[in-house]
Amino acid sequence: MTPVLEIRGLTVTLPRAGRDVPILEDFNLTIAPGRMLALVGESGAGKSVAALSVLRLLPPGAKISGEIRLDGTRVEKAGLQRLRGAVASMVFQDPLAALNPTQTVAAQIGEAWRVHKGGSKAEARAKALALLEEVGIADAATRLDDYPHQFSGGQRQRVMIAMALVCGPKLLIADEPTTGLDPLVAQQIMSLIAGLRRSKNLAVLFVTHDLSLVAEHADEVHVLYAGRSVEWGAAKEFFAQPRHPYSAALRGAVAWLGQKKLAAIPGQLPEPEARPPGCRFAPRCGFAQVDCTRAYPAPVQTDGTIAACLYPLQGRQTFTPAAGAPAAQRFAPLLEVQNLSLRYGKKPVLADVSLTVGQGECLGIVGESGSGKSSLGKAILQMLPYAGRVALEGQDFAALRGAKMRAARRRVQVVFQDPRESLNPRLRIGEIIAEPLRLAGMKRGEAAAKVETLLHDVGLSPALMGRLPGSVSGGQAQRIAIARALAAEPALLVLDEPTSALDVSNQALLLNLLRGLAQERGLSCLLISHDFAVVSFLSDRIAVLRKGRVVETGETSGLLAAPRETYTRKLVEAAPRLQS
Amino acid sequence: MSEKRGSLLAGLALGGAIALLSLAGPFLYRADPYAIHPAYALRGPSLAFPLGTDELGRNGLALLLAGGQATLIVSLPAALLAFCSGLGYGLLTGLGAGWLDKILMRLLDVFLALPSLVVLIFFAALVPLNNVSLVLLLGFLSWPALARLVRNEVVAQRGRDFILAAEQSGAGRFYIARVHIMRMIAPVLVVNATFLVGDTIFSLSALSFLGLGVQPPHVSWGSSLQSALDIIALAPWWLIIPPGLMIFGSLLAASLAGQGLVRREGAR
Repeated sequence: MTPVLEIRGLTVTLPRAGRDVPILEDFNLTIAPGRMLALVGESGAGKSVAALSVLRLLPPGAKISGEIRLDGTRVEKAGLQRLRGAVASMVFQDPLAALNPTQTVAAQIGEAWRVHKGGSKAEARAKALALLEEVGIADAATRLDDYPHQFSGGQRQRVMIAMALVCGPKLLIADEPTTGLDPLVAQQIMSLIAGLRRSKNLAVLFVTHDLSLVAEHADEVHVLYAGRSVEWGAAKEFFAQPRHPYSAALRGAVAWLGQKKLAAIPGQLPEPEARPPGCRFAPRCGFAQVDCTRAYPAPVQTDGTIAACLYPLQGRQTFTPAAGAPAAQRFAPLLEVQNLSLRYGKKPVLADVSLTVGQGECLGIVGESGSGKSSLGKAILQMLPYAGRVALEGQDFAALRGAKMRAARRRVQVVFQDPRESLNPRLRIGEIIAEPLRLAGMKRGEAAAKVETLLHDVGLSPALMGRLPGSVSGGQAQRIAIARALAAEPALLVLDEPTSALDVSNQALLLNLLRGLAQERGLSCLLISHDFAVVSFLSDRIAVLRKGRVVETGETSGLLAAPRETYTRKLVEAAPRLQS
Repeated sequence: MSEKRGSLLAGLALGGAIALLSLAGPFLYRADPYAIHPAYALRGPSLAFPLGTDELGRNGLALLLAGGQATLIVSLPAALLAFCSGLGYGLLTGLGAGWLDKILMRLLDVFLALPSLVVLIFFAALVPLNNVSLVLLLGFLSWPALARLVRNEVVAQRGRDFILAAEQSGAGRFYIARVHIMRMIAPVLVVNATFLVGDTIFSLSALSFLGLGVQPPHVSWGSSLQSALDIIALAPWWLIIPPGLMIFGSLLAASLAGQGLVRREGAR
């Protein structure tokens, strides 16, 4: 049987800082009709570039080599229009950006159908209705004349899927279709795609960073790391025992998430410009030997999947991080606060506070309002005068002046409670996020490209760049504040009640986002909140603050299970239970 | 909605018409305002002299246009000068260190306490009066109110989270002022700029009326009113009403435009 999609030796470069940088190298993949393949990797691994290459939707300046065949036909510039929609169609992460806000969904779906198939308006409308029913829009008949903004995020994604199905494609390419949706809705979208696959014999290329989403539905898994395939094979075998240390680490991270525990793989994904020679994962891998760094390992057939690794895992082996620098980093103190005291006028606000935050660690600060927790955050940010020592990476802030002080402050960024108040209402969103970049001297064009990446990282559409903060929701505004904080490439993120101005569903989304970002980037956080549920969701350790003093510190699980102080117990009991 | 925009549009239209008439008028209506026609002294409006003539037989319409030109040539730069000084002083006070703020604010209180028209008259009696000295005098005496307004706006914005966030990324005071403060207070500035224009026109007219403004042989709206007043017994309405209307119209235009901008901003 002809495979629906066959990719051979695909290499894609993108221009970065005036030079062509390889984003994806020597990529091979085959999908048979009706099969679902999950393409998995962290952001920056090259998985979206792989997906966009299929229908040649890459950004301008991209150079592409290798061969792609859709249903046996070689994909070339000529004839591309015929393949798009008819053989393969695409669903993106942000349906709001992909749908036309000024047209009803019936008009948009109908138009797509008439462009490809002709037919009358009435037929097009009937087709639109049938498709909306098929993708599970309730009361589809009454929703035909609604505009995209009248649908919820999950429903919009369903509408996008309906549009993708208009011409009866054989392949659906879904690029992070559930990112930005809350976990429950994400599962529903996954079930919808799985159902369509069965009923229409549709092949699916599912691009995601979240392994837990695909475990249930995918037939095959293909893992990318830093632009190279590291492991691929049947999903059953993959989930039973990943053979490449990186996939095992990813898989492990999922298991840990189930137990509500952050599992960062120590170290960071290398930038495309600075990929190490040999196996790209070697610097972070505990199994790596000297020969791993010589040449990219050839793929080998293990007793399960195929892994591009010289020392694939055996039996039930689990991943261990590289000994030395990255592992030690996790425990090296990043921020040290010693005997910090602070007063407003004569009134003492903080007395003798001492704490540390390790590299990649999230420390929660919990306390009632008036306990001094926000002032502690501001003192660490150097926004308030204090007595005592605050040191970042061993450098005492008190000893710094002028440019050195500014550079040190940049390393600590902040997300405030009220997203409306923390974004200048008269600056465009693009300018707001670019601010730290421009202040660091980055050129306008380069900053704009970076802003686009940052928006993507926080699950927002680049289309927001030209808009003012007043035109976005509270949840979106808080994401923009996070993107701005990340733009400065901080070592430490101070989150001062980041979710308390948001409604419950946005809270959950934002917490998930923060957890993902912290994990992906190995960020350290200082999370300030009155809400134990929020703090325990993100923090490795928790410090309890009462009337300006730290009354209790401990590992999150220990503190939750057996709080020593009555005050802590009271706070724990006051917190709404967070369902996982 | 229409009422909100109506006031702004009416103000802009009226102001624009007066400015056009005064600045371009003398080039379009080319009668010499200073030519004396003794035989036609104190005539009412006619075809030859649409706004009549004064006691020296000078063309009333030509005088009105020339007076407008003289008034605006002094008032507009004076308003600009006052605007820049007020803005600069306000930003400096609002963003500067605490001690600087204290000193500059006390100094400002002194300025504000002085009745500006009296000070104006005092200085106008001391220095030779020409366009440059009038611009400087009017400009330097009209800025304190704006300076205080700007300072208070800056102080209100200074502690806001988005400014703290910018400082955390390494933004200096100049950057904060230019990017964040200026955009936040832009509406207030625009509104007050229109009021400043009205103020300086009024002050110059008052000075000229007292003989301390635009000096003879040149005329301004204020001095035209003054010379008409000398012969009020003869009731030359065509000499009194037009310059009076022009002054009134300018103030009304500035006020309407300003109010319109305030309402539009409030509606946002």
